Amino acid sequence: MFRSLFLFDVTFWLYLAAVVLYFGYLAASRSLLQPAVAGHPAETTDEGSWAETLGLLATWVTFFGLIVNGMALGTRAYERMQLSGTFAPWSNQFEAMAYVSFATIAGYLLLELKYKIKAIGAFVVSIGFIAMGAASLLPYRYQTAEPLVPALNSYWIYIHVSITLTSYAAFAMAGGLGVMYLLKERAERRGMAPNSIYATFPSLEKIDELGYKAVMVGFPLLAFGTILGAMWANYAWGGYWSWDPKETWALIVWLIYGAYIHARMNRGWEGHRAAVYQIFGLLMVVFCFWGVNFLLSGLHAYA
Amino acid sequence: MNGTTDVAKAFSFKEFGDAFVGFFASLKLAILLMITLAILSTVGTVIQQGEQPQVYIKEYGETAYWWLTKLGITDIYHQWWFSSVLVLLCINSLTCFHQRFPAIWRSIRQDKVHVTVPFIQNLKRSTVLTLGADRQKVTETLALAFADRGYHVLFNKGEQDTTVYATKGIMGRVAAHIAHLSVTVIIVGGLLGNVIGFRDFGVCLEGQTYHIPQGNFDLHVDKFWIDYYENGAVKSYNSTLTVIDQGQPSVTKTITVNDPLVYKGIWFYQSSYGDSWDRVEKARIVVKDKATDKVVGEAILDWEKEATLKDLGLKLQLTDFVADFGFDSKDRRVYSKTVEHENPAIKLAITESNQALPAPWIFYNYPDLFEIQGSKYKFELTGYLTKKFTGLQITKDPGVMFVWIGSTMLVVGVMLSAMIYHRRVWAKVVPNATGVTVYMGGTAYKGQIDFDREFERVTERVKAAAPTV
Repeated sequence: MFRSLFLFDVTFWLYLAAVVLYFGYLAASRSLLQPAVAGHPAETTDEGSWAETLGLLATWVTFFGLIVNGMALGTRAYERMQLSGTFAPWSNQFEAMAYVSFATIAGYLLLELKYKIKAIGAFVVSIGFIAMGAASLLPYRYQTAEPLVPALNSYWIYIHVSITLTSYAAFAMAGGLGVMYLLKERAERRGMAPNSIYATFPSLEKIDELGYKAVMVGFPLLAFGTILGAMWANYAWGGYWSWDPKETWALIVWLIYGAYIHARMNRGWEGHRAAVYQIFGLLMVVFCFWGVNFLLSGLHAYA
Repeated sequence: MNGTTDVAKAFSFKEFGDAFVGFFASLKLAILLMITLAILSTVGTVIQQGEQPQVYIKEYGETAYWWLTKLGITDIYHQWWFSSVLVLLCINSLTCFHQRFPAIWRSIRQDKVHVTVPFIQNLKRSTVLTLGADRQKVTETLALAFADRGYHVLFNKGEQDTTVYATKGIMGRVAAHIAHLSVTVIIVGGLLGNVIGFRDFGVCLEGQTYHIPQGNFDLHVDKFWIDYYENGAVKSYNSTLTVIDQGQPSVTKTITVNDPLVYKGIWFYQSSYGDSWDRVEKARIVVKDKATDKVVGEAILDWEKEATLKDLGLKLQLTDFVADFGFDSKDRRVYSKTVEHENPAIKLAITESNQALPAPWIFYNYPDLFEIQGSKYKFELTGYLTKKFTGLQITKDPGVMFVWIGSTMLVVGVMLSAMIYHRRVWAKVVPNATGVTVYMGGTAYKGQIDFDREFERVTERVKAAAPTV
């Protein structure tokens, strides 16, 4: 137990370090920007190598944090196996949060690898860090690996919970991109200085498109996760749908993003509105993930 | 009625139909319905559903409760207007399919290859290249570049120019429509379950057999027990059940919370358990001498089994139990007021010196309530072992198959439409004095960034293959 809790702690500090490094990277690269080529990093100078070093360091620290996060989850799985014969390392609120930050950070690193945009890290890694931090603020009794209650003691927990949580991570990423969009948009509207920190952000169009992509990852995953939950409920609760607050909220969140995806078929729903909507969606996800457990009673109230 | 009005009628029907489809297939309606459903569902999670009146009155007051029930908010998911939103969502997705799918289908079978230059230049992404190579070579390079990226390529070779059309990912749009259809399949499954399915709850005792009328078979409860973890937390609730069909035992299964028994389409779930209110496993009786008030004997009685205390000349039998003693004076009948063990009592058949005495009720909470006439002894109930009942939920839902088929369609549809983006590119290769001019343009239904990158790469490849002029 203490071994995994220690590793979760280390993860928290590594993510904190990564967030600081990403912001450092933003700050370092902004001074390189020359008026003529706003939005594009200038040719490498001494300062450029500074920014480059920070950026590289940020990525590696994030990667290392992800490894430790994974190790913490793995250790927790082992501890669960010892205690109660089931291993799903997402069996309570704390573990679920730790898993969400794992998925968010993993998703971000894939994004960085594919699109080579480091500026997003400052926002998305922050969300992973906040998730990890919020988890460690939970009371100790929520952090321990208590054995599963009979209703949870099933193979479905492995797949239903992990897939649903991964969708939350994708929506978290979309929300982070939404914040980034609004910040950059505001700076541009106010006549952004060429060496402003916002100039290092990718173009608005690109942020918008990536946000949409993140939703397009989360949306099918949430559908799949919710349907797996329905299948599980059909075995455990005696019916596939009981309008339990948690499953209803999963449906609400899914409908909210469904409306978003349909709205985007119209041109007017790109950009600013979409960014605001992504942030709103993330707040709904947070309520579905946290609020329902702590404020509403229902069949999912296991924690 | 003559022919002309018939024609006019048919025409107006069509017009009406188009307007109808146009309204119901609209994107705006889809968004409106989804948001409405989300808001109504939110209300249903904030205000508790299907609770006892006193819960609402305590929370919101009486006037508010009156309004809540009047508006149906205490059972929001089963109101006609809630179901109407679901039905509208079905109509919306079906009309959308009806209106938009045929075009996609045609596009799979045969797409428009020959287009004009202005058409290309009006596309979301377009470019013009002037290259120093001949028409044949540029066309081939273009076709190869697209084919390498998984595009399906078609040509139209005209007198003046060659048009290249490249497309991929139409399946993404087909998948979106599969998802649209799935909504109806799932909702039909849900309605079917509500109409022809049932959901019952049974309190069942070990060793008893119950008739299941809906399946015309019997269910025998062999055993109920609870497993614990080392730390004392409950690990699982288990009931061993045997189905007796036409007098013959046919299936025996131990069900747990996550593992129901299914027989002839009827599902038996381990749903709850509790202490039985009309029988016990064992009871401990202490026998005292009336005169001295000293304990002279003790017996642990099994349910309905006679026990003998030889040295006292007693035969005792536990014949009845109530958990919460109540007496119906009209029928002169003893019953249990609640299922809680508030005022437990047993009925004890006593044979003293080979003489049967009138069987008294003996109370756990009030040991000295009655004096037993004609006996030397006092009897006290000092403890008992409860008999557990197992709560079984008995469900049949023929709609569930539809729900799973619909769910599969939904997940597959949404996944594919999120992963596969429909892309179309047209390029017109027009020969000129020094080589060719290529007008190339394209659209992506979704995923603009990836498309832009692809477009860029193809452009570069064509440029590399032929010297730019």
